[in-house]
Amino acid sequence: MSERKVLVVDDEIHIIHVVAIKLRNNGFVVVTAANGAEAFELACSEKPDIIVTDFQMPVMTGLELVEKIRHNEATKDIPVILLTARSFAIEEKQKQDLQISECLSKPFSPKELLRSIEDVLYQRAVMQES
Amino acid sequence: MKSVRNLYVIVTAIVAGSLFLGGFAEWVKSGIGVGWRLSAYVRHWDLLVLVCYGTGAVGVIWLGWYWLSLAGGIASIARRLKQDEPAHIKSSSNAVVNELSEAINERLGSCSDRKVTLEKQIRDLQIQIQLSQRQKGNAEAIIYSIRDAVVVIDEFDKLSMANETAGRLFDFDFKDSQHKPIGELIDADKGEFVEFLSRSRQSRGRGTRQEIGFSENGRPKTFDCIVSCVYDQKEQVCGVVAVLHDITREKEISQMKNDFVSHVSHELKTPLASITAYAEMLSDGEAGDEETRKEFCSVIQSQATRLNRLIDDILNTARIESGLIKIEKRPLSLTILIEEQLQMIKSYAEEKSIEIVGQKPIVFDQVYVDRDMMSQVIVNLLSNAVKYTASGGSVKVETEVDEISRVARVSVTDTGVGIPEDEVEHVFDKYYRVSANKGQAKGTGLGLNLVKQIVEEIHNGRVFVSSKPGEGSTFGFELPLATTKAVEAV
Repeated sequence: MSERKVLVVDDEIHIIHVVAIKLRNNGFVVVTAANGAEAFELACSEKPDIIVTDFQMPVMTGLELVEKIRHNEATKDIPVILLTARSFAIEEKQKQDLQISECLSKPFSPKELLRSIEDVLYQRAVMQES
Repeated sequence: MKSVRNLYVIVTAIVAGSLFLGGFAEWVKSGIGVGWRLSAYVRHWDLLVLVCYGTGAVGVIWLGWYWLSLAGGIASIARRLKQDEPAHIKSSSNAVVNELSEAINERLGSCSDRKVTLEKQIRDLQIQIQLSQRQKGNAEAIIYSIRDAVVVIDEFDKLSMANETAGRLFDFDFKDSQHKPIGELIDADKGEFVEFLSRSRQSRGRGTRQEIGFSENGRPKTFDCIVSCVYDQKEQVCGVVAVLHDITREKEISQMKNDFVSHVSHELKTPLASITAYAEMLSDGEAGDEETRKEFCSVIQSQATRLNRLIDDILNTARIESGLIKIEKRPLSLTILIEEQLQMIKSYAEEKSIEIVGQKPIVFDQVYVDRDMMSQVIVNLLSNAVKYTASGGSVKVETEVDEISRVARVSVTDTGVGIPEDEVEHVFDKYYRVSANKGQAKGTGLGLNLVKQIVEEIHNGRVFVSSKPGEGSTFGFELPLATTKAVEAV
């Protein structure tokens, strides 16, 4: 099985740190970004298998990032998990329109996040096979 | 009256008859000499002529007296009628005049009654006019003293009344604009209001309400517009009154509160997220070595401190506002307080690669303050400076004592994003966040407001700020120096 790459985006260094450790401990390659603009550049260059992003961030919010990713040919199919303290502010329609795979609320469990990433990647693999 | 008229006719007939008979008798008498047969029948023609003429003369005299008294009576009546207040006309010896007097007196009587009635009606009307004028004056005074814009239009959509606020809002002068069509007086960009007025009049609405937005002097504003139709006695709409209450500020505050709730939930959840995630990693044994475990514990500790500071900000703001906070002031050295808080903020600054330039010069003078509160002031200013400064920047703390005004001055200068000029005056407002910097960092809009409240309301000090966008900001405060008496008391 090839290495699975995750792009973790959050302006909180501690969150990035803890998520990165959890994912690395479970065999993922982790790239990180502190805001949406930086993340978009990394998404284009690193082509991650999945993106885990915060919603409220400086420079570019998580939703703006997803919107930009969906409009870019090279990144439009990358699954996205939103990890946010403002999950209440995101409507179901927005999630569907932007093809957000999952929306996890902060505070979160790293185990749960890992499970969600695994699920999303599995579903994607199944879809690609079929 | 009829008898008088009869008497007048009889007398006139008698006079005429007497004169005719006297003439006839004289003619007959002249015929005696020619032996006219008729003269033979009357012996005393002279006496007959005399009697006839005598009777005629008496009749003429009576008639003359009668006419004179009639003329006199009429003249007297005319004189009395000419007077401003015609008095009761006295009865006369002349029956005709008497009858005329009675008729006139009767008419005067009824006229007098009518006059009294009319005078009463005039008085009532005058009172009503006065009352109406007073009510109009009251209504105008009420309308002019209302701070909201008030516009009154008639049934033809023409301006009847408007106060100064309305004049300023719609840019017209009421005196020059009265009775002009409202559609012509109000600019097209405020057409929604005119349309609302017209619609309310057509629907005969009372207290119809609508939120209307338009710009005033280039500033977007929101008004709560209440419109009520005015009805006449036939229940027909004869006008419309509109009151425009400026709710721009309320809307802003409401938006700020919503933003605050949203930010606070985010701000509280973010350190909590770190704490729970690191705690879970520790308990799951994901921290491989002792160093990593220590690092995780340190993160949990720092995030708990951050959470505590945020909760303190929220609680202290609420306590200060409610007056329930316990204040324990004592003389303290600002240098020691600043040094303590610099140590606390150090790791945060290091995370962002921001250089902290310690306080210079060292000030040994003391201020009379509540230690915890003043620590919160200093840490809020320092953490704000670090928060809004990009990596590689610096934060400098300066303290000085103004011996003339007997105050200690602390300023925190950063090389951060700065604040736009038009927003500087609002930075200490509750929930206020500089719009241009919202994306730069998260916050609740409480920290600087708390700084202001603690410094100015609790310690009789003064906060100050200066900033240049793109270059940085200086936030600071002044506190009165502790008096010798206060220091000795401790």
